[in-house]
Amino acid sequence: MELFNAFAVSLQAVWNDSGFAAFTAGNGIMILVGLVLLYLAIVKEFEPLLLGPIAFGCILANFPRTGFLTDPGLMQAIHYGIANEIFPPLIFLGIGAMTDFGPLLARPSTLLLGAAAQVGVFVALMGAMMLGFNVQEAGAIGIIGGADGPTAIYLSIQMAPHLLGAIAVAAYSYMSLVPLIQPPVMKLLTSQKEREVVMEQMRPVTKFERVCFPIVAAIIISLLLPPIAALLGCLMLGNLFRESGVMDRLSDTAQNSLCNIVTIFLATGTGMTMNAEDFLVPQTLLIILLGLIAFIFGTAGGVIFGKIMCRVSGWKINPLIGSAGVSAVPMAARVSQVVGMKSKPGNYLLMHAMGPNVAGVIGTAVAAGTMLAMLK
Amino acid sequence: MSQPVTSNPFIIMLINMTVVFLVLIALGLVIKLIHYLDPTKPKVKQESAAPAVVPDPSPAAPAAEEGISPEVVAVIAAALSSYGYGPEQIHAIRPLSRDGWKNSGRVPFSNPF
Repeated sequence: MELFNAFAVSLQAVWNDSGFAAFTAGNGIMILVGLVLLYLAIVKEFEPLLLGPIAFGCILANFPRTGFLTDPGLMQAIHYGIANEIFPPLIFLGIGAMTDFGPLLARPSTLLLGAAAQVGVFVALMGAMMLGFNVQEAGAIGIIGGADGPTAIYLSIQMAPHLLGAIAVAAYSYMSLVPLIQPPVMKLLTSQKEREVVMEQMRPVTKFERVCFPIVAAIIISLLLPPIAALLGCLMLGNLFRESGVMDRLSDTAQNSLCNIVTIFLATGTGMTMNAEDFLVPQTLLIILLGLIAFIFGTAGGVIFGKIMCRVSGWKINPLIGSAGVSAVPMAARVSQVVGMKSKPGNYLLMHAMGPNVAGVIGTAVAAGTMLAMLK
Repeated sequence: MSQPVTSNPFIIMLINMTVVFLVLIALGLVIKLIHYLDPTKPKVKQESAAPAVVPDPSPAAPAAEEGISPEVVAVIAAALSSYGYGPEQIHAIRPLSRDGWKNSGRVPFSNPF
């Protein structure tokens, strides 16, 4: 009898200590959300390299009593890298090493398209404030319109860390939906004649320009906007690795091994912020809606400014490249190319759209820096 | 967290968009300045008073035998060019002799094509 009692008490203790005893309906729903995101990543291939680890992190975050964020260990170290803004600049190091600023250097006027497309960020900010979010939360939500995951995470951590999961999921989901969101807006705002504009070939860019640009840009932007010095500094350092021609090993590591390792940590850690208490709130739906509005207005802003540049330049700029100003490198540039080709077969806009596309990356970081300086 | 400068959404939007435009315009000017100062950029060619005698850069066209159309010559030249051969390496284009034995010998090697 004593043996039976001891056995029953032990089983009771194991059950009480297990995750099942503390499992809530909210945890169950969030695990389902994680599974849906995994489905989208693996089957539908929606940004699988990012959405995959985010989804799995979401599932892990909803196992009760794991102590992931409180007990020392790998998960806490990953969370430390997220909470202290370590991973987004490291991702930017890799992005810099992968980025060719040549089209931007050949045609600097396309920087204006990268600036104009940031209008989506601020329209979403306005909308969020009108819906009752405070100004810091609104800024973090607005940055979804920049279509730049690391910058969105960087800003959210500093201005609204409790919204990080929803903002990251919205940003990466819409980035993968760029080919569906942008074309109707682009077609609605342009005429057939505008879409058929053939752009002149760009001038060649010298190595001197390619090497000087990251150095000078890092100095100027970091002095102007210190809150994003880590982000822009790493972007330009990575680009210097690439363009210098004497740091190939560093460039290779930054754009491959390091970027992949940090992506695993950043995306898993972001997913681990999606616990039921923070995510299952009505605000999440509003954030997803505002993210869509931000993308639409960002695209529209770029295209409308592209139309202005088209007229001012004497029909030498195809307005379709304006939509690439929303970042989402290189997906948004590819969308400009596809829509342009459908309007006029043989009209190759990809190279021209890469200018505003990389300008959008800088523009989104500058918008984040401005908001950090003004609203934090 | 310090107090934000303003809480008016429209003013925040206006100020932020202005700053983004100003920073990117400044960056554009920097790019122009780098291009202007670039000592390695190719010099713009000066127009000379008397036109210089320029040798014809195009080598003599390969001799094609009669009966071969210009389209066929173009296709063969393009195919060879895609393998890295220049026009100066193509000396002549002529049909192969229609020797049945030779042709039957070539068949096993050209079968997949």
